[in-house]
Amino acid sequence: MKDSKQGLEIFQDITRIANSTLDLDETLEKIIEVIQNNLHIHACAIYITDDSKEFFSLRAAIGLPSDTAQSIQLGIGKGITGWVAEHNKTLALSDAHNDPRFVYFPEIEEEKFKSMLSVPIMVEELCIGVINIHNEEQRMYSDLEILIMETIASQVSGCIRNAMLFNKSQMLLKEQTILYDISQAVQTSTKLEHGLWIILSGITMGEAGGFNRAMVFIINENTNTLRGFMGLGPDSSEDAFRIWTQWGRKKKNMLEWVVNEADKNEYKNSAFNQFVQSMNFPIQPGENILVETVLQKNSFNVTDADKHPLVSNDFIQSLQTNAFATVPLIAHKEVLGVILVDNRYNNKPISDEQLRLLTRFATHASWVIENSRLFTKLLETNRELLSTREQLIQSEKLAALGEISAEVTHEIKNPLVSIGGFARRLENRIKILASKYEDEKELENIADYSKIIRSEVDRMEKLLTNILEYSKAGILQRNPCDANELIEEAVYLFQSGFYMKDITVQFRLDKDIPHLSLDKTQFKQVLINLLYNAMESMHSGGNLTIATYPENYVGGQKVITLCIEDTGGGIPQDIYENIFNPFFTTKSTGTGLGLSISRKIIEMHGGTIQIENNMGRGVTVYIRLPLQISPD
Amino acid sequence: MKKILVIDDEENIRFLYKEELEELGYQVTVAATAEEAMGKIQADKPDIITLDIKMPGMDGIEFMRKLKEEKSDIPVILCSAYGRYKQDFRVWASDAYVVKSADLSELKLTIKEILGEGGPSDPHTQ
Repeated sequence: MKDSKQGLEIFQDITRIANSTLDLDETLEKIIEVIQNNLHIHACAIYITDDSKEFFSLRAAIGLPSDTAQSIQLGIGKGITGWVAEHNKTLALSDAHNDPRFVYFPEIEEEKFKSMLSVPIMVEELCIGVINIHNEEQRMYSDLEILIMETIASQVSGCIRNAMLFNKSQMLLKEQTILYDISQAVQTSTKLEHGLWIILSGITMGEAGGFNRAMVFIINENTNTLRGFMGLGPDSSEDAFRIWTQWGRKKKNMLEWVVNEADKNEYKNSAFNQFVQSMNFPIQPGENILVETVLQKNSFNVTDADKHPLVSNDFIQSLQTNAFATVPLIAHKEVLGVILVDNRYNNKPISDEQLRLLTRFATHASWVIENSRLFTKLLETNRELLSTREQLIQSEKLAALGEISAEVTHEIKNPLVSIGGFARRLENRIKILASKYEDEKELENIADYSKIIRSEVDRMEKLLTNILEYSKAGILQRNPCDANELIEEAVYLFQSGFYMKDITVQFRLDKDIPHLSLDKTQFKQVLINLLYNAMESMHSGGNLTIATYPENYVGGQKVITLCIEDTGGGIPQDIYENIFNPFFTTKSTGTGLGLSISRKIIEMHGGTIQIENNMGRGVTVYIRLPLQISPD
Repeated sequence: MKKILVIDDEENIRFLYKEELEELGYQVTVAATAEEAMGKIQADKPDIITLDIKMPGMDGIEFMRKLKEEKSDIPVILCSAYGRYKQDFRVWASDAYVVKSADLSELKLTIKEILGEGGPSDPHTQ
């Protein structure tokens, strides 16, 4: 150390190094090199605290035995370095061995060094490391040397801080990438199992959630229980690890790969998964911590299950862990289930960082469950719609068949009447003739032939009557049911149609009307026909009012009236006259049987249907159903 | 002798009715269409009419409406191949409704009842 000019050169070098790279180890090594080249020293070492802030680890060194130095850990407060870190003060000792604070560390082979200068590396008020220089001979460190070392320490502090921030941002980026990948993977399937498997994989994989085990429970609304749905844990942890490493490598077609992996359903056979699936708890206060997570809509991080008021011994026994975390799965403010995680195998405490990540996975899981619920509901509605449409077509076909058979029957009936009528005449005449002639027997035989024609015609006539009766009657399967409910169900099918056409629906349903004996399917068809007509008439928006009320109809008959009123402008007069005629239609896609069938169905129920046409305003349909339907 | 007008577009049916009813001692005239029947009513002044519903041109129901407009008192028995018109209120104006059958006993009985044979004399009979 010659003069302050050299000091400035050192700072210049150090600043250049600090700004050249973000790689901390490289930076520290180069800084040490500068120190060695410019100061008269025999060894230099930089220690940095670990996450726990309890130990210092050697991060870079020169002049120390290289094979052992890597594993050196110094406790805070212990030895010279520990003292410096604890008191945040520089210490320069020409005879370190005789200082009362000295502790001998064989790994560093300290017996070689007599003097040492120890400088704390500070970030704000906190000591994050120590930089030491050692000399073999006893010597004093000059003020300038101390100043240079302290300045270097503050530079190093900046480097460490930058590196930490960089690492953290790298980690966040990675986390984001993982979450993004998982959300992408989840979207490739509508299967609930797939989605949740992918998420649980994310939770348990080392570089993501890093938990040892994860289990998901889903609420069953019908039984009001919380049921174990899936568990990813120990006997598939190797799998999880394998998957994760492969995941990292197969960046390109990762989505495809994950979905394939989910397809294999290998997790299903694991004992842990089966154990989770065997769990089922009633949702009631005081049941257990999983249920409490649902009821309180709160996460729990249980560090000491033994002492936790909400955790029973049985629960600990079955999970075989004393620390775990739960997080509720919430979508649209509604709790759908719970995820429970633990670190049963490495016993690592669950950090805030892990919990935060878990919450984000939980959000994904919630949407997976919600999507699956919506998808299932959509499928059901679709299926119902299809079957209703099938039935509608079926009954229209039947009605058309009825019309045709009536025509055909009529055409057959007339010739039959002639055949049968004349066969009768023939029979009678021959009988009269036979009585007058000698060869009576022979003529009587002829009369018998005629008789056969007559009886066969009778048989055909009966057959025709039966066919007509059948096609006319239809068969009602009546059950007591809530007309209001049927209305709501039918309207539900038109929800999207009404929405798209900007039609507002207003219900004025009298909830107190008694149950009616109706053929649900057929009656619903009538409603669908009428709602469809109403919707078609209001192609550019309007109001649909649906009302039910009891009424005293003609002759004091008690009826329940269902009224559907639209604002579609009404029906032109020439069309109005034909609306109940079979096969009459204004729609290119219809059969024209809708209203005639509707009337038939209502009449079969003993009711009436009335259509009130208000030109320029709209159509009001009244269906009146007798309150007491005679059992016919 | 009571006079019956049989209106039906089927030739064989007309022939059958004529044979059967004449055998019972009625005087039977026939018409193949509603239009033809109008003329026969003027000429023959029947005591009773059997009327088919489904016919080309003017159908039975329309014919009956015309008849009532002219304030005719002649009783009308509607004859149809099947019973579905029974529920149609427009047939209520007829005196009877008989479903066609090879067995004419129902028709014969109805005619007998309306003409009041064996009972008190019918005000419609001329």
